[in-house]
Amino acid sequence: MNGISSFEHPNSTVTADGTYKHTTSPIVTGTSVLALKYKDGVMLTADCLASYGSLARFRNVERLHPVGKNTIIGASGDMSDFQHVQNQLNGLMLSEHVTDDDQVLGTKSIYKYLSNIMYNRRSKVNPLWNKFIVAGLEDGESFLGFVDLYGTTYKSPVMATGFGAHIALPILRKYAEARCDTLTEEEAIEILDNCMRVLYYRDARSFNKIQRAKVTASGIEITAPYSLETNWDFAESIIGYGA
Amino acid sequence: MLQHKDGSVQNHQHGWEPYVDNGGTSLAIAGEDFCVIASDTRQSEGYSINTRFDPKIHKITDKIMLATTGYSADAKRLTEVIKMQTERYFYKHEKNMESHAAAQMLSVILYQKRFFPYYVFPILAGIDNEGKGCVYSYDPVGNMERVTFQVYGSASGMIQPFLDSQVGFKNQQNVDKTRLLTKEEAISIAVDSFTAATERDIYTGDYLEIYIVDANGIHREQKPLKFD
Amino acid sequence: MTSIGTGYDLSVSTYSPDGRLFQVEYASKAVDNSGTAVGLRTKDGVVLAVEKIIPTNLEVPGSNRRIYPIDKHIGFASSGWLPDVKSLVERARDEAWEYQSTYRVPTSPKILSERMGLFIQAYTLYSSVRPFGASPMMACMDEDGPQLIVFETSGAYYGYKGCATGKAKQLAKTEIEKLDLENMSIRDAIKEAARIIYSVHDDSKDKLFELELSWISEESNRQFCKVPKELYDEAVQYAQKSGDSDMEDDEDL
Repeated sequence: MNGISSFEHPNSTVTADGTYKHTTSPIVTGTSVLALKYKDGVMLTADCLASYGSLARFRNVERLHPVGKNTIIGASGDMSDFQHVQNQLNGLMLSEHVTDDDQVLGTKSIYKYLSNIMYNRRSKVNPLWNKFIVAGLEDGESFLGFVDLYGTTYKSPVMATGFGAHIALPILRKYAEARCDTLTEEEAIEILDNCMRVLYYRDARSFNKIQRAKVTASGIEITAPYSLETNWDFAESIIGYGA
Repeated sequence: MLQHKDGSVQNHQHGWEPYVDNGGTSLAIAGEDFCVIASDTRQSEGYSINTRFDPKIHKITDKIMLATTGYSADAKRLTEVIKMQTERYFYKHEKNMESHAAAQMLSVILYQKRFFPYYVFPILAGIDNEGKGCVYSYDPVGNMERVTFQVYGSASGMIQPFLDSQVGFKNQQNVDKTRLLTKEEAISIAVDSFTAATERDIYTGDYLEIYIVDANGIHREQKPLKFD
Repeated sequence: MTSIGTGYDLSVSTYSPDGRLFQVEYASKAVDNSGTAVGLRTKDGVVLAVEKIIPTNLEVPGSNRRIYPIDKHIGFASSGWLPDVKSLVERARDEAWEYQSTYRVPTSPKILSERMGLFIQAYTLYSSVRPFGASPMMACMDEDGPQLIVFETSGAYYGYKGCATGKAKQLAKTEIEKLDLENMSIRDAIKEAARIIYSVHDDSKDKLFELELSWISEESNRQFCKVPKELYDEAVQYAQKSGDSDMEDDEDL
């Protein structure tokens, strides 16, 4: 499929001494992605910001990417690596389309495909600088899988990448993990919005314009970007930091 | 490498380590005609718990299990490779691989990556061709030894002396040091090892998976450990 | 084919004195041996229909398909020597993927057909190669609307309102010429395409055949895919009914 466009060393540049330079740090980055399982399926959320170091560079970026009819991938980390992965997955879905056999690629297969890409790239010591959450529904069962630049994979009823793994995950574990079978859509939205709000207060690389997505029996739904209400009154009481 | 005029060499290595330690502990104890294999199911990275349930023990054949610790992604790939190879062996030879053959194969697979190793500490355990319990332990590059018990992973430092004493009967007098444990003894020592380790090792916890392999096949048990 | 034996047909890199390339012409003979393919273009879409001849009833129904999606919005119907068709299909898929991953827009049918034309033509230049014994029919949709293009064995390609290749191409073309394609809906075109395949099928030569129908239209979300089962069944029913009434007409005469 990719015969013409394949390169021997993707995402690498040749240096003066003939060696290859690989990605050693991310450039334009997206911060946390959060996800949870609930009664009707899975839900995930991410903000619309892509930062250039500490600069809020792109403020209208979509980091929740649908693959097929029952899978969504949420990406944090380097955005150009993410777009490279998007292109690869588009190629995968195109080869599925042209196979024309009425079979659909399930969430688990897409997760395994992505995991293999990530692990194979780390094994070339030329990683794709991302943490991904793959969410979906397959055979009526909800699925949440994680994979990062090391090719490390795991499944869990709640998960978060980046700063969210420190700040939002404890909240998700407390309010969602134990009740994920009974959690309603409204409750799930409230928990995720609250987590994103807390992250916006504490993560300097986050943004209050966010998107939410869900996969249920009726398919994928990704919201348009919306803004979270915030309240900075507490800032008045903060003493120090030059204020 | 860049050679400078003064003869000094500047190393042009990228500052990225392709390995992580995902914590966790695995152990195996061989009995006369059985084997006990146990692992916790926590997967961590740094101070974060990634998931509470990521099993590290995998079935290789009806008589052989593989328990891993170390770098989870390598462990999973290594398991895939071994499963694939044993399956190929099965279709080619029309019989399952014996444990000693699988043990040697695992050593070769590990050594093939001698200069970019799988960062995994594998324990291959089960029933040998004579029906006896067997445990094979390895280092990440394929050094192999048949032993009667082995523990690897983040809590191995705590569990090793306990097993030395209670399974190997080390530093004891007036005991039969060649005696092998009964099934009940082995299971209870495995459980005690993990309940104790969970208290002190932050990388060990959540759930304990215990597999008992004997002539009747493979039996699985799961117990909760602490979630903290 | 009066010049057989003159030696001018031995190499594709040699013209005959009257300016023909016999190997290219022979290649189109290979196309004429395969099952009939029909393509119809209406204002709102394109339908491709293939008479897939089944050599044995041991063949699994629905297998060895002869209509191939190339991209989301492009499809080929094959006629000719199957391995050659598949090779062209593979090439077209690679070209389409290369185009869309370079420019991030749906592959342009104009560019794809140009590249495919050049590729086929390249196999008419050298004595070391054999021209493709295939004449694929391409259905696609872009901002200019639906298009139907047929590649000839020479590498030439033309756009059509309706076209036919394979065994009964003459009969089929005559039937297509009778249709008012300008004012026909794509749903009706599906039925007509099915009818034509059924009517030109020669029972005495090939007993078994399977009708393959794929389309691209607004209704299919501008995706090239199989015709939905309901429409397929309806079309087959229509084709069989028209076949029966034709027989009755014959009896009347």
